[in-house]
Amino acid sequence: MTDQLGALTTIFTEFYYWITVVLMFLIHVGFCMYEVGASRYKHHQHTLMKNTMLIPLVTVTWFFFGWWIYWAFPTGPGIAPSIMTESTGLVLGGGFGANELANPMSPVMAVNLNDHINGVFWAAFLLFSWTAASIVSGAIIERITTFAFGILAIAIGSVFWSIDAAWGWHFDGWMLKLLGYHDAYASGVIHACAGGFALGVLAVLGPRIGKFSSSGEPRNIGPRNPWLVCIGLFLIYTGFWGFYAACNIPIFDLGPEYGMKGVTFFTATNIYVTPTTLSGITMTFLLSLSGGLLAGYWVSKGDPFWTYSGGLAGIITASAGNDLYHPLQSLIIAGIGTYIAYKMHYWVERRFKIDDAVGAVAVHGYAGVVGLIICGFVLWGYPSSGYEGLGYAAINPIGMIIGAFIMFGVLGFLPGWVLAKILHGAGKLRIPREVELAGLDYNIMEAANKDEKAVASASR
Amino acid sequence: MATVTSWVKHLSADEVAGAVYPFIGTEWLWLTIAVVFWVAFHIFTGTGEAEEQQKLSRKRPGANDYKKNITDC
Repeated sequence: MTDQLGALTTIFTEFYYWITVVLMFLIHVGFCMYEVGASRYKHHQHTLMKNTMLIPLVTVTWFFFGWWIYWAFPTGPGIAPSIMTESTGLVLGGGFGANELANPMSPVMAVNLNDHINGVFWAAFLLFSWTAASIVSGAIIERITTFAFGILAIAIGSVFWSIDAAWGWHFDGWMLKLLGYHDAYASGVIHACAGGFALGVLAVLGPRIGKFSSSGEPRNIGPRNPWLVCIGLFLIYTGFWGFYAACNIPIFDLGPEYGMKGVTFFTATNIYVTPTTLSGITMTFLLSLSGGLLAGYWVSKGDPFWTYSGGLAGIITASAGNDLYHPLQSLIIAGIGTYIAYKMHYWVERRFKIDDAVGAVAVHGYAGVVGLIICGFVLWGYPSSGYEGLGYAAINPIGMIIGAFIMFGVLGFLPGWVLAKILHGAGKLRIPREVELAGLDYNIMEAANKDEKAVASASR
Repeated sequence: MATVTSWVKHLSADEVAGAVYPFIGTEWLWLTIAVVFWVAFHIFTGTGEAEEQQKLSRKRPGANDYKKNITDC
């Protein structure tokens, strides 16, 4: 940074991402409140700690290998050549975009006077990783061991979402080139993937005791603290706003980037380095939130839990194309996704006896899949990349449907199911029946019994 | 061992070295220690959790017994 304008641009970008990271922290605060509010009193403390401990576990593994995977895997490997290395192998070493930057022993993975971006960019992606793991956390409350959840959180947060981001959420990803995949604000790469993963785990984990009658009829175990759940979802919305900003590159001169001689065009871009504006996506974000809230309220007949969840499902559905949609298109798309997610939740629950305690598979998984498919039709023909002439397919419905299958099924459901099977086989997945009945917090409460009694008698 | 002993000398060099953390070149050692710490966390907390739950299973408390431990809500 030797000139003032260059320094301002760099420091602005550094500060921009830093702010988004702090905002996105609210997503996790929201998820913790939401889960605890949905759980029963006797499981509160373990529910909270399960979700809290994913923070350090995903963070250290994201430092060890998650970030490395993102930069190494855009080619598959072996599926489509990188525009940086012109090879289909893992992207290793070299200049910008290359994997050396993400090596945990690299000098830029620390305070570095010549680099102001890597750390904040790493952190922005890390917060997405927490979200992916947290989505799974809510679905499986009150019956999974903290040990098993830790392993699953690392798998989705530092491995599988990182692979899908390299494939479909990277300017050099093979899914853009071959499929025309487009997912600006992560309908698929975060939500469909994590929702699919949660469904895979739930299929092995089984329902909470008493969730289904002996004849298989589902029973409602509603949130024990609806107010906490709703405030949690409000915080998730707020953090999600920061997430939208974090998905953009705030300032980029696309003229030289696209090889256009004599053209200067400064703009914000999405992760694919195609233009959008922070101003425009503020409108699409708010209209998709509104579409989800309206549809959620309508379809659930004013149920607070599903109205708030509908707001989230609406944003998730429209997110794939919210960099380009008209706000009114976002509104309608969000409403459609929310309606389908709600209906799918109850159909899957009844048909397959899946006990998704917070509706995470529906809100994130089904809404994410619907969002990808709709995006394929609405943005049909748009370029998936600005690097023209380098073999990128245009956005199209077939590519997006295949992309949705990869996100939800191949990198979501399948690894979730396989890992849960392994943990189940080792006897590490589910807590004992007696503990589930007594409550995960029974020992903690029993240890405090004497003090509780003393306090009660002192107040007489 | 300090990597930087004079900011004036450091920043006036022809090419400023970016990395300023202590013990440059020993990153592999810190990474190894961190990985061991991470793996140990899983092993010890996982074992502790299993033991605690087995103990509780043997006591077989009922679904509402936890309420006996809450006397002053």
